[in-house]
Order: sequence, then structure tokens, then C-alpha cells
Amino acid sequence: MKNNVFFNFLFLLLTKHKSKHIAIFIISTLIVFLISCVMFISSSLQKEIYSTLDSQSDFVIQKMNAGKSVDTPISWIDDFNQINGVTNVQQRVYGKYYFEFANVSFTIVGIDLFEENANKDLKKLLNILDISEFLTKDSMIIGDGVKKIFDKYHYSNEFSFRTVNQEIKKVSIFKNLPKEFNLVANDLIIMDINLAKEILNIKDEESTDIVLNVPNDLERANVKIELILKHSNTRIIQKEDIKKAYENMFNYKGGIFLVLFIIVLVTFILILFQRYSMINSSDKKEIGILKAVGWSIKDIIKLKITETFIIGFLAFILGIILAFIFVFILNAPILSNIFLGFQNLQNDVSFIPNIEFSTIFMLFLFFMIPFLSAVLIPVWKIAVLDANESMK
Amino acid sequence: MIKIVNLNKIFNENTKKEFQALKDITFEIEDFSCVILKGISGSGKSTLLSILGALSKPSSGKVLIDNENIAKLPDLHASSFRAKKLGFIFQSYNLFNELSVKDNISLALIPLGFSQKQIDEKVEKAIALANISHKKDEIVYNLSGGEKQRCAIARALANDAQIILCDEPTANLDYDNSIKFIEVLKELKKLNKTIIVATHDPIFDNLDFVDKTINIKNGMICE
Repeated sequence: MKNNVFFNFLFLLLTKHKSKHIAIFIISTLIVFLISCVMFISSSLQKEIYSTLDSQSDFVIQKMNAGKSVDTPISWIDDFNQINGVTNVQQRVYGKYYFEFANVSFTIVGIDLFEENANKDLKKLLNILDISEFLTKDSMIIGDGVKKIFDKYHYSNEFSFRTVNQEIKKVSIFKNLPKEFNLVANDLIIMDINLAKEILNIKDEESTDIVLNVPNDLERANVKIELILKHSNTRIIQKEDIKKAYENMFNYKGGIFLVLFIIVLVTFILILFQRYSMINSSDKKEIGILKAVGWSIKDIIKLKITETFIIGFLAFILGIILAFIFVFILNAPILSNIFLGFQNLQNDVSFIPNIEFSTIFMLFLFFMIPFLSAVLIPVWKIAVLDANESMK
Repeated sequence: MIKIVNLNKIFNENTKKEFQALKDITFEIEDFSCVILKGISGSGKSTLLSILGALSKPSSGKVLIDNENIAKLPDLHASSFRAKKLGFIFQSYNLFNELSVKDNISLALIPLGFSQKQIDEKVEKAIALANISHKKDEIVYNLSGGEKQRCAIARALANDAQIILCDEPTANLDYDNSIKFIEVLKELKKLNKTIIVATHDPIFDNLDFVDKTINIKNGMICE
């Protein structure tokens, strides 16, 4: 059988029988689209969060009092600096600020702009802005979500924070952070560390927590013990713990979608199998005619498998393209909220493509093998029947 | 030469629904002859035709075509035999209604490994022989019964088949088209084809070009 003649006939059949294949094509496209969306969002978020985590310090130390975390004395910095293998010990100041009119909370982060080893991530955010003027007066840099709220309540140049003493502290808006930082900085307000302490009611000699690095992986277990020996009333959070928490979160959410995907796929394959098992008389007749005019069982199976493969492959490609557009161009409305959670500030997050060929290939196999099997078995069963029986 | 020796066909063998459709059938058909298998519905003539066409297998016995027993051919060989040596004309035409006349005829040539150019040439020849050239691009669905039959004839002729098997070919045709069909059979015989027609239509009685009529009743040949 010459391949070009065979394919001519195959495409002719496909175009003539398009109404027969349209339902399978649409459902297949939808399944591939949904699972691809989940994979694209998940891998994009994971990459973004892991890259953010990579720039985080190895240890976070919080002072505990009666089981609650309280502000940490900055005098501990000197204590921790004495431990061998420890570098970049710094204070961090951050906290939630509740804005009652909009019923939302902002995250205030205080940074020490004179500190060489300030958080790399914040440095990254600030490097894109001219900060020479930043310290001339009480100023802040705000995330996109914060800006929207401020605009809504007409705080276009400055915002009035209320301190714990019910005093008004006016802080001018210096700049807005670009949208591409929305994933990590949507609800963020960045300001000078001392100003942040004043608004968050943190004493000058205290901080929210203390961070430090231990460049040698093997030393981390020992350093943890040393940290506890220095101050027993602490909670120590390691970067690995945060990473594990994120992995658990993604595995949990991704797992739910994977289970849903498997259920949908199995159902679809069963429907497909059923459709071909209870193949209607016209399909049966088609096979019978082909046998009568000299087509072998092998040729008929080749025809049906190729026909199904083309439908499946086109559905797969279309599903992937639609998912790409939905996630990376339209920013996955609805689905992004499931992954990010319904945050207190509306987050117009932009997903950055992080697609691995191996993942696409795995999805392709995952989809195509059961898809083809569901067709192959019933078609083979009919093809081995007497042609006379099939044509009746 | 076609030789049928002690042919038996039993459906649902060794079950409660066991039914013997053909019983010890033995006869011979000379090359280039026209043979009518005559019998009422359910007599077994269509079953015999399908065994002759290697579309189904007998329970026992031999079907020798040019000294080759086609009764036990594996599928790959049986399909190759059908593609090269046989042409079928069915009662209900058995055409792809969504395809054109030309495409329906082409699909019988695909298994033979011809190029598209060769297929096109053979299709042109077959549609001219069957007198359906004027409808070659028409979708089969839009054809009349007679035109569909001519399309089926063209398909049976496209592979230059040595044997033409016709199963109740006039059952869906009116009298005029049945006469036209018989004229086509006459022409085919002149082209040195071996023609076997399974029918119960009396129009085939006493035709001058028919060499033999075999009457079948309850799966057996009766004189």
C-alpha cells in the first residue's frame, strides 16, 4: 500500500466524516487544555517561588514568648554572629497593616537601605528604581494591588497610616512596583526600616525576626543547635522547611487536579471504547466494504489508528496552544485564583512561561496511548469478523 | 477454473443455535463462464458467494481457484486475493455514500500499491466501461439506484478482476435498470470475466449468455 495514496484516502475520509469526529475532537481538546493549564500554572508558579526562595536566607529566627512569636531583640544579631559558619546576620521588619475602609491588609516591609546585605529580592525590586530621593522624606514603594486600593480611595500622592498611639503618619508614595512582581509583591509596601518600625509599633531595639546564612550545608544542623543554645526561646525556620511547605502545597493542589484529570480521562476513554465497541452499523459496514474490496485487517487497523491519531494529535496541539494563550496571555482567569488562593487584594498576576519538553511529551503519552487503545481493540474485533456480517 | 469440493458451512457450531447453511456442496465453474446461483432467500446462495469471495471461511471442504485453496487462506493472503482477482457487486451496492464515484472506485485499488497516477488511469477506464463517466465527481449519496449500481460495477472492474461476484444485483433495481445490468454482464463476459451471480430474480432465467444455473435449496444443490 503506497503511503501517499493511503493518506490521500485517509484525509478524504476525515474531511467527509468530520461530523462523526467533531465531538471526540472537542472533548479531547478540552481535556488537554485543562490539564495543560494546570501544568503551565503550576510550573510557572513553582519556578517563580523557588527562584524567590533561592534568594532567601538559610535561617529565620523568631523570639517566642508563651508559645507566641514576639518581636526579636536586635542584640541577638551579635550573639548569632559569634557562631562559627554563620554569615549575613540581619534584622527583618515586616508586618500586616489592616486598612479598615477597604477591608484589606497590606504587608509592610522595612528595609535598611544602608545595609550591604539587605534582602536580595528587595534589592532586586529596588534596583530598577531610582532610590536617591527615596530617603529625603518619609516615602514608600507600593505593589500593584496596593496602588489599586489607594487609587480607589484617592490616595494618589500619600497615605495616612494610623500608629498604635492613634497618631496619623503621612507617607508619600514614591513609586509603584512593576506588574511583573505581582506574584511576590502585589500587597507589598516597602519603606525605610525605622519608618516601618514606627508604623508597626516595633521598638527601635527590636525586629520582627532575624535572618542568617550558613553557606556550608553540612554545618546547618550544628548551627541550629548552637542557635538554640544561645537562645532557647526561639522558633527556627529553615529555608528547606519553607521549600517543603511550598512543595506540599503544590503537590496537594496539583494532585487534586491530577486525580480529576485521571477521572476525566478514564471516563472519556471508556466512552470512546464504548462508542467503538457498540460501533454503529455504518461504521461496521465501512469496515466490511473495505475488507470486501481487498483491504486486509492490518490495513483497516492502520487506517483507523491513523485516523484516530490525527484527531488526537490535532486536539492535543490545539489544547496546548489554547492553554498557552489562556495562561500566559490571558493570565488564567479563575484558575489562577485556585492556585494563588483568593487573596485579600486582587492580584493581576502575570505567569512567566516555564514549559519543559519532557512534561509535554509525558502528557502526550499519557493522553495518546489510552486514546489509541480505546479505538484499536474494538476496531480489531470488528475487522476480524466476516465482512458479510459487517455489511449486513 | 473454480472447483468447490464437499463444502460445508455451519454457523454457531456446537451451540444451541447451530445452523448448517451449506451441506456438501460440490461443483465446478469453467473460466470465462457465467453461472447463476439460484435459490430463495435463506437457501445459502449468499453464504456460498461469500466463501467463494474469501469473505468468510467454510467449516469444511475446499474452494480451489486456479488450484489454490482459498478456503483456509490467512487474512493477509485472502485480502490480497480479493484485491487482485475478485470484483464484488452487492445488492445494496455497499458504497461510501459521502465519497464521490471516483473515490469509491479508487479505494479498491489502494491495497494493490498503485501510484495515484495509475489509480486515476484505472478509475477512468472502469467508469468508462460501466458507463458512469458523466457522474465521476458526483457524491454517491446523490445518485439514483441504477447509477449506484453502475458505480459498484465500475469498482468491481477497476482492479481488472478475473472473477466478478454479484449478490442479488437486481434486487434494488427497477425492470429497466435490471435489463441494463444484464447487458453489462453480457459485456463483461465478452471481456473474458468469470461471472457468478447469486439471485432469486426470474429475469436471469433463460439468458443466452448464462452457461450454468445451479439451484440451491436448504444449503444443498438440487437438480
